[in-house]
Amino acid sequence: MKKNIMYLFFILFVSCTIFAVAMASPIRAEESLNYRLKWLFNASVTGDILAEDQNLFTDEGLDVTVKAGGPERDAIRELEMGYAAFGVASADQVIRARAKGAPVVVIAQLFQINPLQWICKSSKPAIDTVKDLRGRTVGITYGGNDETIMKTLLARAGIKENELTLSSVRYDYTPFYMDKIEVWPVYKNAQGIIIGEKLRKEGEDIRFLNPADHGVQFVANSVVTSEKMMKERPDTVARFKKALLKGWHMAMEPANQDLALSILQKYDKNTPGDLQEKQLISTRELVWPDRSVEIGRMDVKAWQQTEQIMLEQGVIKSEVKIEAALMIP
Amino acid sequence: MLVRRISQFFIVYGAGIAFLLALKSILGLSDYVIPGPLEIWSTGLAVVNGYLYDVLNTLGVAMIGQILSIIMAFSIGTAARKSSWLGSFIKAAAYNIQAYPIVAVAPIIFILLGDGFTSRLIIAAMICYFPLLLSVVSIMSEPITSIEHFYLATGRMRWQLEIKIRAFENIRKLTTVISGSATLAMAGTIVAEFIAANAGIGHAIRIALYQSDLSRILAALFLIGIFLSLYQGTLEWMGEKIIKKWVIVDQEELP
Repeated sequence: MKKNIMYLFFILFVSCTIFAVAMASPIRAEESLNYRLKWLFNASVTGDILAEDQNLFTDEGLDVTVKAGGPERDAIRELEMGYAAFGVASADQVIRARAKGAPVVVIAQLFQINPLQWICKSSKPAIDTVKDLRGRTVGITYGGNDETIMKTLLARAGIKENELTLSSVRYDYTPFYMDKIEVWPVYKNAQGIIIGEKLRKEGEDIRFLNPADHGVQFVANSVVTSEKMMKERPDTVARFKKALLKGWHMAMEPANQDLALSILQKYDKNTPGDLQEKQLISTRELVWPDRSVEIGRMDVKAWQQTEQIMLEQGVIKSEVKIEAALMIP
Repeated sequence: MLVRRISQFFIVYGAGIAFLLALKSILGLSDYVIPGPLEIWSTGLAVVNGYLYDVLNTLGVAMIGQILSIIMAFSIGTAARKSSWLGSFIKAAAYNIQAYPIVAVAPIIFILLGDGFTSRLIIAAMICYFPLLLSVVSIMSEPITSIEHFYLATGRMRWQLEIKIRAFENIRKLTTVISGSATLAMAGTIVAEFIAANAGIGHAIRIALYQSDLSRILAALFLIGIFLSLYQGTLEWMGEKIIKKWVIVDQEELP
């Protein structure tokens, strides 16, 4: 009896293992295309989910599954492992990966303005120049790209790190609300809106410190694929890009706002509609700041500057010539 | 005992690295996904000093957390050994609290107490304490009928004597539970640091993850494994010493 139970458990274990391996097998990615986002479903991915919801990929003859990202997800690794055919990665991720020989290429740059900015209360002294950060407590995520950006801002303004207090931050904003940390890194179109709303209810207003206004351009999220995909299935890549950018175009077009919001609500049920509307408007300003410029345009100079910053900060040891990875038609 | 533990760890770690490198070679993966042996080595050398300090920092918190947990678990566990209302209440509470995911509870602790030493200690103790408590309760609530019967029948049984008899008869189980809980305390501290703290090896792993640097994570895991093996080996050695001493003392006391 005991032996039979042991056998049963063994068979169950082996079956589960085979099932898990089969589910995770790279072969599946050959059959249907997975598109791994960088973060969870929110306003920052409106174009991606709209393309899926409105069957824009299907119209191009593609079966694409848009998968939510998260803090421990890395689209570039998934590309290499074959779990995804396309993904979203930040520029620093792409540069870091290229520096380590990862065969990753960029097919579109989703954000023209980096949403990663620093929020501060309007009641506090204004930050008109980086020098105004002297003596203040500034939040950074150690190891995150905001650390690289802030340290570059300080270095270029000739401010030494001991002239201000750099304080480690995570996802809990209490130290900011309690004024323990005055300047806090946020994604302007996501947490920036939520924090701003909370503070406005308390009679406070907010301001943002955008590094790009102070000469530091650091590219944010872009769409990536593998060199192999680009070489072996250029038609698939072209059709994917066409459908995706059409989705983004529709999502960012003010006339389609209601449609975009209804899709957003379907994918992200936890954020109130009024906040999503503000987040969508803010996303539009970052993705499509200049209507004369097509969505998805690759800002080569900004990419080069991003690489230069990473070199200066010692994040990468030698240059990668990132322009070679930008697939500009 | 220590040497055996360390050598076992080297075998496990070596096998893990060999598996990763084999996977890298078979699938033709870049250094971004799985770093090469040279990169692992050079990164290890570059970070060893900083990580050594971080691991010792974490181990210090874990040790204090474990000591606190042991004291609390033995105090409450012995009080709850009787199958009274209090005993069953403590067991039910321990099971329930243990079921809460620490990643959900930890942020509340960090909000209330900040991201310093106290929060890490509390989370380490929380992760270590409840399994320890349940083990102590289950061990100490088991009557040693063959011995206890005599004292009960002669009316000489006192609660102190009952605890002493049960602890003595289960000394091997108790020392095993204590040395095993070291892993829980260490894991608890690392989880706490990973979630919100600003120090320790968990914090260092968090940074390495932000930077997608697997070679740093491997270096951190190596040091964690070494020090945890040392700590557990020391606890086991102490446990053996205590057992020997108790048995000898007991034999000497025998008529």
